[in-house]
Amino acid sequence: MSVRLLVLIPAAAAMSLALSAAVDAVALPLFLDTTGTVLATALAGPGAGIATGVLTSAVNTLRNPTFWPFVVVQVIVALYAWLAARAGLFRSLRTAVPAGLGLGVLAAATSTPISYVVFGCTTTGGIALTTALGRALGLPPLGACFFGSFVADFGDKAVTFALVTSVLHALPRRTAARFPWALRAVGAA
Amino acid sequence: MTGGRLHPFTLLAIAGTLPALAWILPAPAGGAVTTAVALVLTLTPGASPGLTGSGSSPGWRPGLVVLRTAVLTAAPFWLFLLLLHDVPSTIAIGLRLTTMIASVVWVGALLPPGRLVEAMVAAGWGVTAAYLFAAALSAVPLLKARAQRIVDAQRCRGLSPRGGVGRRLRALRALALPLVLSVLHEVDERALALETRGFVPGARRTPLAPPRDATAERAGRWLLLVGCAAALAWRLAWRG
Amino acid sequence: MARLTLERVSFWYPAMGRPALRDVSLAAAPGEVIALVGNVGAGASTLLLVAADLAPRVVGGRLEGRVKGEGGRGIVLPTPWTQLSGMAFTVWDEVAFGPANLGWPRERIAGAVDRSLAALDIGALAARDPATLSGGELQRVVIAGIVAMEPALLLLDEPTAELDPEATRLVWRLVRALAGDGCSVVVATSDLDALPELADRIVWMEDGAVRRIGAPALLAEQSLWEAGLATTVADVWRTARLGAPYPLTVAQAERRWRQ
Repeated sequence: MSVRLLVLIPAAAAMSLALSAAVDAVALPLFLDTTGTVLATALAGPGAGIATGVLTSAVNTLRNPTFWPFVVVQVIVALYAWLAARAGLFRSLRTAVPAGLGLGVLAAATSTPISYVVFGCTTTGGIALTTALGRALGLPPLGACFFGSFVADFGDKAVTFALVTSVLHALPRRTAARFPWALRAVGAA
Repeated sequence: MTGGRLHPFTLLAIAGTLPALAWILPAPAGGAVTTAVALVLTLTPGASPGLTGSGSSPGWRPGLVVLRTAVLTAAPFWLFLLLLHDVPSTIAIGLRLTTMIASVVWVGALLPPGRLVEAMVAAGWGVTAAYLFAAALSAVPLLKARAQRIVDAQRCRGLSPRGGVGRRLRALRALALPLVLSVLHEVDERALALETRGFVPGARRTPLAPPRDATAERAGRWLLLVGCAAALAWRLAWRG
Repeated sequence: MARLTLERVSFWYPAMGRPALRDVSLAAAPGEVIALVGNVGAGASTLLLVAADLAPRVVGGRLEGRVKGEGGRGIVLPTPWTQLSGMAFTVWDEVAFGPANLGWPRERIAGAVDRSLAALDIGALAARDPATLSGGELQRVVIAGIVAMEPALLLLDEPTAELDPEATRLVWRLVRALAGDGCSVVVATSDLDALPELADRIVWMEDGAVRRIGAPALLAEQSLWEAGLATTVADVWRTARLGAPYPLTVAQAERRWRQ
């Protein structure tokens, strides 16, 4: 592993966690905690993405002790982002946003069993309340839990993909050329 | 005996074993025991600010601060569990979650990050794992401060949390993009700085202050692992 | 026996058509202090990266010509906050980062770190978290971290940019002391007034090429003055049309004035 990659991974992980300040300032119900994972994958491949995702979960766990079980979701996000990068889906918002929505469904599907088994669907207050709403609408417990996770993840992952697309396009070409995957991810290679 | 004198790996082993046992052992008794142990552990005085910097604070008996953090973090879960589940399920899940939360809060308060890094280096792991963990940990507060500065600067230029979703998303982009781009721009410079200081991924470096790892502790860690495996085997057999 | 030899070196950054260094030849002897002066974009930083064996090895790009270095090399880059290791939670550990990577035994590391902290006058900061330091303190910690590795060739890129005048004088005194111990130092700096006492040779760079190499008296010459690269005293003397020989420092000006 090159030193540049070794520098990128913790920087991307820390970035995921620091974006919460931006999210709070615009008062949107987003996490953006997979931004670093997606970005690292788009720049340097799935290995970097998975390492970033695991590191994000580890560091996040210190602040939010309940996040560790969701490390699986970070890994899934990295793998999905890898497929999206290979297909050049970060070349425009028109392709990135639907890809992000797709990831939202996948992420919700992955986090639902974890949420259900470990947390009884009380991962966050928002998810708990949305799950209660789902139950009130007559959904079965697991379905209600998926409903809760889905509402949280759907928009979040779409915004994440849109943000990463913006970043990749804003990189000066000289910088982008130094990251093995960046040009391919935006369909320029 | 201060927990801070235990080897970092021992602290991590304990913090990992308690939640594992909380899940393996039959509820609610198993969860109750592990929760009790975890909460008692939070009363161990810490020697220095740990990973979360919430170790000792003047005016408070150190142990109570950690206990309080654990309890306050766990409380909302109990509330939401009551909303969604019946009482027995609430207790069962609640105890497991409380064990997990208390264990993490405890180890976070007790373990200085430098000591964990030294333990990794002394254990003969290459610098890679230690660097990844330490660099991420030290970067978070710096990047958070930078993000806040960008937010403040944009506020001076009229950024506000009001307005439609579209407007707020554009504002989010204006906040997030500079942060992310600045991080990427620095990657090259940081790599150069590491290279010039002899940093080679995967190489071994001299441990500066290796934590003492007594044979008893190492044996204890293995015992915890074996204990968990045994508990799991017993539980599966009991079920089947 | 030169510590550093650059023979007709040209360097292109990745994906750049114009070379950042053009046909540069330079040699640094043990115990010599060489100062690189020039305006922004002159190529001084690039030359230091090439001398440090970071370009093209880490930076990428293309190099023509020959670069030969003897012994360990260390470079201090201009932005201190990007040079923290990220792996140290005290200043002492930060300074010890380099020596520890070199695999030195603990006693040798402790000695080198303590000497380095003393030389940069930051002993009082030893237990502080590097993330809480001011720009000036940080820059001294970074310099200390490289000096602790006891390099045979020390490369400094604007090492006093964040420092107050007293700390700046401290660093220049340290540079002369290290040169006295046999270290070769190549420093790129815009602190021209310090150079008459600091540097053994001045290298004037422009547009990636070396225009002149000579003794510090170069800093009073017409061509450098016109490029804005004269010392303050020489600049004032010339502007006031007070005639050659042009003094470089206040002391020299005083002596000239009394004659």
